[in-house]
Amino acid sequence: MFSHLAVASSLAIGDMLFYAICFIILMWLIKLVAWKPINQMMQDRADKISNDIDSAEKSRDDAAKLAKQRQDALANSRQEATGIVDSAKKQGQQQRDGILAQAQTDAQALKDNAKKDIEQERQDALSSVRNDVADLSIEIASKIIQKELNADDQKALIDSYIEGLGK
Amino acid sequence: MGDPSSVATFQFGGLTFNAANIYSGLIAFVLVFLFVFALSRHITMKPGKGQNILEWLIDFTNGILKGSIPGNEAGAFGLYGFTLFLFLFISNQLGLFLQIAVGGKDFVRSPTSDPIVTMTFSLATLMIAQFAGVMKFGWKKHFSGYLQPFVFWLPISIFEEFTNFLTLGLRIFGVIFSGEMLLKIIGNLAFSHGIATMIVAVPLELVWQGFSAFLGAIQAYVFVTLSSVYISKKIEIGE
Repeated sequence: MFSHLAVASSLAIGDMLFYAICFIILMWLIKLVAWKPINQMMQDRADKISNDIDSAEKSRDDAAKLAKQRQDALANSRQEATGIVDSAKKQGQQQRDGILAQAQTDAQALKDNAKKDIEQERQDALSSVRNDVADLSIEIASKIIQKELNADDQKALIDSYIEGLGK
Repeated sequence: MGDPSSVATFQFGGLTFNAANIYSGLIAFVLVFLFVFALSRHITMKPGKGQNILEWLIDFTNGILKGSIPGNEAGAFGLYGFTLFLFLFISNQLGLFLQIAVGGKDFVRSPTSDPIVTMTFSLATLMIAQFAGVMKFGWKKHFSGYLQPFVFWLPISIFEEFTNFLTLGLRIFGVIFSGEMLLKIIGNLAFSHGIATMIVAVPLELVWQGFSAFLGAIQAYVFVTLSSVYISKKIEIGE
């Protein structure tokens, strides 16, 4: 081995130069062909993955926000619906009360009118009956008695009877 | 192997080259490049098979570096660690299935079974470590690290650098060289006495090849790990 080394030492410079230069050329070629593009790609991939993670995080946040919004909207609409139903109920109650009251007053008015009419009728009937009875009784009396009885006296007499009947 | 007469040399531009180192080194470089090139086609956000393997490898070597270099500084040495690991791994395995010797002279074997090759890489690592230290702390502070914990420590510090350089290079060389040596000896044994020795030698060869493949992977890993440790030592001075 040592003899080999001794001989080699006389060869050394040429081989060393050859290897050094070839190695540098090889390094340069590998850099050109593989090292740069692959490292670039690895960097791109790392960036893409971290971007993906970020965007996934973001979309998860968005989804959570949307879900919360929907939840809120749901609760809100439920409340609103309850309000609407309540107000409708109240309005209905009011309307019912109003209609009822109206009906009551109408009925009362009708009743009053009817009473008044009846009273009127009665008065009319009474007065016409009074007149008729007076005339009739005069006729009857004049026929029966055939006596000269003053019509006015007769009427006064009949009236007093009728008064007694009306009470 | 290891015997000077088994080395074919040639001259070029006033420098002497070792033919075996040049050929096997070229094969390893081309194999590494083809491997990476084939796997890095169609790079997409959703990784395919090849891209998965490559990304796993990058993560693996980055993991080795991050294990000893703190913080973001490991990123600067990622490409070096990745290329170094792939090249050493393929170099270590190359000699296991491909050894060509013509006329008693080696032409293709594991490049890492030559100490010159491994020490080139250990020298590169230590130079990168020094460079990183100077870049981070400046000349003054970087070299004052050699005077820690006290001034008389200087020779020991320098000697430590030297031993780091030697052990880093020779460790991987030793393991791969001895592995291939034994493979060759078993191979010679197989052909020495006809059928009888072949029957004995084939399972032995298989077992030893498997073990060497394992060792080759471990050594590539250890080399990159130690490289990152040496680099991290230089950029952590005084912290």
